[in-house]
Amino acid sequence: MSGIESFIENFNTAVDFQDPVELKPDTALGDLPEWDSLAALAVIVMFDLEYGVTITGNDLKGCASLQDVHKLLGGKA
Amino acid sequence: MASSTLRNVAYRGMASCVPKTVVSNLDDCPPAMRGERERLVRNIGIARRRICKPWQYFSTLAQDAAERLLEELAWKREEVDALIVVSQSPDYLIPATSIIIQDRMKLSTATLAFDVNLGCSGYPYALYVLGSMIASGAVKKGLVLVGDKCATLNDPLFSDAGTATALEHDPSAPPMHFDLNSDGSGWQAIMLPVGGHRRPIEMHHHIPSVDEHGGKSYPTDLILDGTAVLSFSTQRVPPALLHTLEYAGLTLDKIDYLLLHQANRMINETIRKKLRLEPDKVPSTLEDFGNTSGASIPVTMTARIREPLLSGRKRLALCGFGIGLSWATCIMETEGAVFPPLIEV
Repeated sequence: MSGIESFIENFNTAVDFQDPVELKPDTALGDLPEWDSLAALAVIVMFDLEYGVTITGNDLKGCASLQDVHKLLGGKA
Repeated sequence: MASSTLRNVAYRGMASCVPKTVVSNLDDCPPAMRGERERLVRNIGIARRRICKPWQYFSTLAQDAAERLLEELAWKREEVDALIVVSQSPDYLIPATSIIIQDRMKLSTATLAFDVNLGCSGYPYALYVLGSMIASGAVKKGLVLVGDKCATLNDPLFSDAGTATALEHDPSAPPMHFDLNSDGSGWQAIMLPVGGHRRPIEMHHHIPSVDEHGGKSYPTDLILDGTAVLSFSTQRVPPALLHTLEYAGLTLDKIDYLLLHQANRMINETIRKKLRLEPDKVPSTLEDFGNTSGASIPVTMTARIREPLLSGRKRLALCGFGIGLSWATCIMETEGAVFPPLIEV
């Protein structure tokens, strides 16, 4: 599995969607029903525990798509 | 503050008191929110909370805990040299709640009493403030009352509790190690924006905004920047604990229990995993008692590890963190202390 595919799988688990969604690198975060403060917390935790990367809520606010979130890893995946 | 050690301070006992009234985060909300709430409960780990009746306050819960503790210890009221309250839910803005409780409990007027304004980080601070006076020998026996009345029906995090802890001067007591910190640059992460001198309550603050489920929110409600608090907690707490252990000449495996402030499951599990500790070493009361602010460490001791604490010497690491922003660690030992069962009123 390539870096971004496993990242998307981790993202999917972290956000804990109520109904399954299809996630692609260009998926807009604003289109995801559960892209809320709880999801942001979960993604910050996922970065920390899965990748050892520290990100903030402001970092996530600057992201429009899933690809943008992946870029926050800075090539660590 | 640099780390410091208090000697001659014996931890004699602790009692926790919660309201009987239980609020369910799943059942006590509009049915249309059920799916959203199930996801929330799965992630924050808080299913039920305790909430005061209209005639209950932090002060009444804490006083009930203190009365029970005095009874268990067989301390005479005139022996209590100090009564300190660590809370952000005073009965009145002024005077200090501790002084009112001195009178309600019929303690001597020679009792030293004052309040400390701290929340989630408050328990290690409480032990340090009272412990410092006891270490010097100026105060022989003292009580510190910690907790808050912070539950509301709408907010799924907070829960009410009051606790009382008894410390006594004793040259044979094991040392207590502390590390206490503050970062006021994060003061806006958790705050009540209205009601103080900078923004007194005015008429327009009583006008709520109403969401699609009929839920009301007011300009006077608590502001909580979840991501800022999570980042702060998970970045600050593990190194602070490891630093305090090193200062004390100890390692994590020498600790019987790590008592974390009960913030939410995401924060607490992240801290636990970063420290590579097994869940049974890090007891949790989040599911049943939510976030009880400064009371969450003592409530967890009473509700989850009372039997082990009564069974013999235990070494505990206590980590409080939150509003301020503020974080505090205490490493201490208990032996022969009294821990009455959870008081429900």
